[in-house]
Amino acid sequence: MSMSGAVLPSQRHFRRLLFLVLGLVLTFLILPLFIILPLSFTDSRILTFPPTGWSDQWYVTFFTDDAWLVPLKNSLIVGGFTTVIATVLGTLAALGLVRAEFRGKALIMALLISPMVVPIVITAVGLFFFYAWLGVVGTYFSLILGHTVLAMPFVVITVSAALQGFDRTLLRAGSSLGGRPFFVFFHVTLPLILPAVVAGAIFAFATSFDEVVVALFLATPEQRTLPRQIFAGIRENISPTIAAAATVLILVSIVMMGTMEYLRRRSERLRGVRPS
Amino acid sequence: MAENDGAGRRSVDDGYGQDLKRELRQAERQEKRRAIGLLLPALLLVAITFLAPIGLYLYRAIDNAIMPELMPQTTAALAAWDGAGLPPDAAYDALLADLAAGKETQALGRLARRLNYSRTGFRELVLGTGRNLAAVEARPAREALVEIDPRWGQNEWWATIKQESGAITPFYLLASLDLERAPTGEIERVAPEQALYVLLFIRTFWISACVTALCFLLGYPTAYALSLLPARITNLLMILVMIPFWTSILVRTMAWAIMLQESGPVNGALLWAGIIAEPLPLMFNRAGVLIAMTHVLLPFFILPLYSVMKAIPAAQTRAASSLGAHPLLVFCKVYFPQTVPGVAAGALLVFILALGYYITPAIVGGQDDQMVSYFIALFTNQTINWGQAAALGAWLLIATFVLFALYSRLVGLGKMRLA
Amino acid sequence: MQQRETPPPAQAGQARPEGFVRFADVQKTFDGETLVVRDLDLDIRQGEFLTMLGPSGSGKTTTLMMLAGFEVPTRGDISLQGKSIKDLPPHKRDIGVVFQNYALFPHMTVEENVGFPLLARRRPKAEIAMRAAAALEMVRLGGFGKRRPQELSGGQQQRVALARALVFEPKLVLMDEPLGALDKQLREHMQLEIKHLHARLGITIVYVTHDQDEALTMSDRIAVFSNGRIQQLATPRQLYEEPANVFVAGFIGENNQLAGTVVAAEAGGCRIRTSDGSEVGATAVDPLAAGQGVLLSIRPESVAVGLRATGRQNRVSARLLELIYHGDHVRLRTALGGSQDFMIKVPRSEIDGVPSVGETVTVGWDRRDCRAFLAG
Repeated sequence: MSMSGAVLPSQRHFRRLLFLVLGLVLTFLILPLFIILPLSFTDSRILTFPPTGWSDQWYVTFFTDDAWLVPLKNSLIVGGFTTVIATVLGTLAALGLVRAEFRGKALIMALLISPMVVPIVITAVGLFFFYAWLGVVGTYFSLILGHTVLAMPFVVITVSAALQGFDRTLLRAGSSLGGRPFFVFFHVTLPLILPAVVAGAIFAFATSFDEVVVALFLATPEQRTLPRQIFAGIRENISPTIAAAATVLILVSIVMMGTMEYLRRRSERLRGVRPS
Repeated sequence: MAENDGAGRRSVDDGYGQDLKRELRQAERQEKRRAIGLLLPALLLVAITFLAPIGLYLYRAIDNAIMPELMPQTTAALAAWDGAGLPPDAAYDALLADLAAGKETQALGRLARRLNYSRTGFRELVLGTGRNLAAVEARPAREALVEIDPRWGQNEWWATIKQESGAITPFYLLASLDLERAPTGEIERVAPEQALYVLLFIRTFWISACVTALCFLLGYPTAYALSLLPARITNLLMILVMIPFWTSILVRTMAWAIMLQESGPVNGALLWAGIIAEPLPLMFNRAGVLIAMTHVLLPFFILPLYSVMKAIPAAQTRAASSLGAHPLLVFCKVYFPQTVPGVAAGALLVFILALGYYITPAIVGGQDDQMVSYFIALFTNQTINWGQAAALGAWLLIATFVLFALYSRLVGLGKMRLA
Repeated sequence: MQQRETPPPAQAGQARPEGFVRFADVQKTFDGETLVVRDLDLDIRQGEFLTMLGPSGSGKTTTLMMLAGFEVPTRGDISLQGKSIKDLPPHKRDIGVVFQNYALFPHMTVEENVGFPLLARRRPKAEIAMRAAAALEMVRLGGFGKRRPQELSGGQQQRVALARALVFEPKLVLMDEPLGALDKQLREHMQLEIKHLHARLGITIVYVTHDQDEALTMSDRIAVFSNGRIQQLATPRQLYEEPANVFVAGFIGENNQLAGTVVAAEAGGCRIRTSDGSEVGATAVDPLAAGQGVLLSIRPESVAVGLRATGRQNRVSARLLELIYHGDHVRLRTALGGSQDFMIKVPRSEIDGVPSVGETVTVGWDRRDCRAFLAG
């Protein structure tokens, strides 16, 4: 540690203890995820640790068996539509939120964010009865709308955060230079908030891709999503294919996280411009 | 200059004043209309696919339309009854007619189940009476019914029907708090052996509080240590916090289900190290629930707290030390108070999220570790007591909203950031 | 960008250099209560460099923003070349604006920034590239086109902003404290550069600043703003030498102010008794009558000391309290005419005549350098 040379002995003990805690907590956070990886390559039919031998058969099963391929396809379909709808509507809403001050704005923001905090079971059960009443339970449509409402808050939050830091003189500059409002939006506003919009879209996709409770209530076997299938697997018998599926989910998460980090760095580089 | 100011003010007020204000308001209104136009699609979506379903669902907590529907005559006949003694003959006639109609349409089972919620024994009473309706023949209804089942000659069964005869009822909401209405209309506690839900709520809050406390105990030193390290190292270590944050809750819970099995890695390691002689039971109990939920929610505590700590300039603690304060005093008086908003925000968020947990306790918890959400799902899917499920949901939602309002006041929703 | 050696002839029928831009009875309020700009009447001539100068909150920036179209006057009219532009949105005004922090688009290259106004006007690609390159050449940034704004220094960014505001050959260019973010040396350099561009292109520039040196060195005319009003509109020289009121006298340059009473009013002048009893002659700015209270304003550099005071129209004795050395000149703080901090500026070459601290010495100034304003 660069600073340990300059501290007193008593503080050094304190520091050591502190970093020990840090190490333990980080291990606690990451270890369970790493445990899954070797398990997914086991050659035994049950999940025991450590594995007795190695095999890639569970990945073969995952990528060839319809019991897993169909849920994977469903997750991608539902996630894709959810991402598009949530991103478009959430971005528009964020633009509206920063556009003017008006009474009830805080309430609207709270309303848009509330799907994030309402206990998921309540949302799921509510949607189940509602769509049952409309006769659309067990359709992609109902599942996509359910996921969209859960995913939209993430878009609203990321995009409005970006818009709050947005230098509004750029809009004035664009307009004084002859840009019509739409021209300025597409050439100035949109490119500048694009990293946030994409970040929101990634959050939205992740929300749908990982969601299990709403899928539990709304999906029939035909729309079974990947998490829904894993959940059923855990309940019934923990086959190592679940570990393979979980590894795939973890990898997808890491890719999304990496993309997000790349976007953050990029937009920070762009932001370096505002003289203050 | 001051005089000038006054003159300026006057010229706005007389003649122009009202016009000006109206024009300003008009311009503002136009901006507002545009803003609301942009918000409208999202608001409509939330209203139609979130608010309306939840609102309609929660209405089930007080919905009692089944009684006027299945006992139209009885409820009407009992309207005039004062509740003392036994109802008039007309009520017996009405009951007979309603039961006969219910038998015809095969709705008797629903009615029996509904009344049985309010008073145990009603199921058998209604169904048994229904089976023996043929024995009534041409006798007066009162005589026949009491003969089929003497309970029709007791006040309390009639009182329950009268009490639950409205189209809406507080019954489920009260029952969710282990309360009921006495025949006199007063609200009182249910018998101790029937009390169930208060304990469930206490358990839910207790588990959430324990998880929040664990997040604080583990998260505070972690965030502090991360804030002390050079940015390069912190960025690397942050990945270890971010990967779980991004990984599906289901996957993480499953990982713990594997980790905590009797033959799982945790027990394996402890046995190998000689710390224990027998495998510890870690799954399907409280320990498993607390470990897994803390794991899932810990990043929500660490991330906001870290950014609060990062913003505290190192010069402050140095200044305090140079002024002669002992490191412990510096921490207590200078550093910790500045992190309190971050701690409060993180703790509140963890607590709110924990309250609604379902998946994690359902997978790693035992029967006594299930939280409110589990019973909502259970009553909806399996035991089919939708009114009770909705009432539990209503109370859970109220608790969540109160805390969420507190959170938004504390943090400000406009300042909310993700990661 | 094709250089315009001479101002282009104004559009047929609109040849009215006097009223190129005209504010007529303009008023602006944001809250319906307080006026930020009040009773503004202002004519801007074609081809001139007009500066709006004033402290912050004086209404100058609001006036500029109304001209650019970002704010709407709550009363009155603004016209450009005789046509009202009050209801024209900014993007239809063809007015170039240089913003305080440049407002360069961070996601575009320098070239794309400069080409933006031409892209917005749907010019062909080849023309955009050519004109953007020429505009960058004009601000001596040829070869910087592919860079991003944040890779340039403050001065370079400033010049990109300038090129961007000029590339579409606007009739009028507005500049809102464009040099505020630069350090002193660079600022003085850019002042000259902007001034030369103005002379070369013959465009009309309306410039906002709170820096009086900048205003004095760059402008053809200066409008001094205070409290939402134009206090004086004049050439730099008139403004400095003949301020119209106490505010302008105090705001532009350094000034000594002495309180006094009118003894006698004469044609174009007056005799004033200062609070310590001495009597001096002054130029009356406002119409004065005997017995009225006045404020005298005398610039530190118009006061002569010792022998050099001989022959000046007003001569009084002053006690030297403090001597402050400034390199090229010396400042004397003196007690004079009832004031304890009457400043006198003596050039380094005349330093030999200065007495030492504590001594009393005769100082003098001419009547035209002493202006009397009605007090209150």
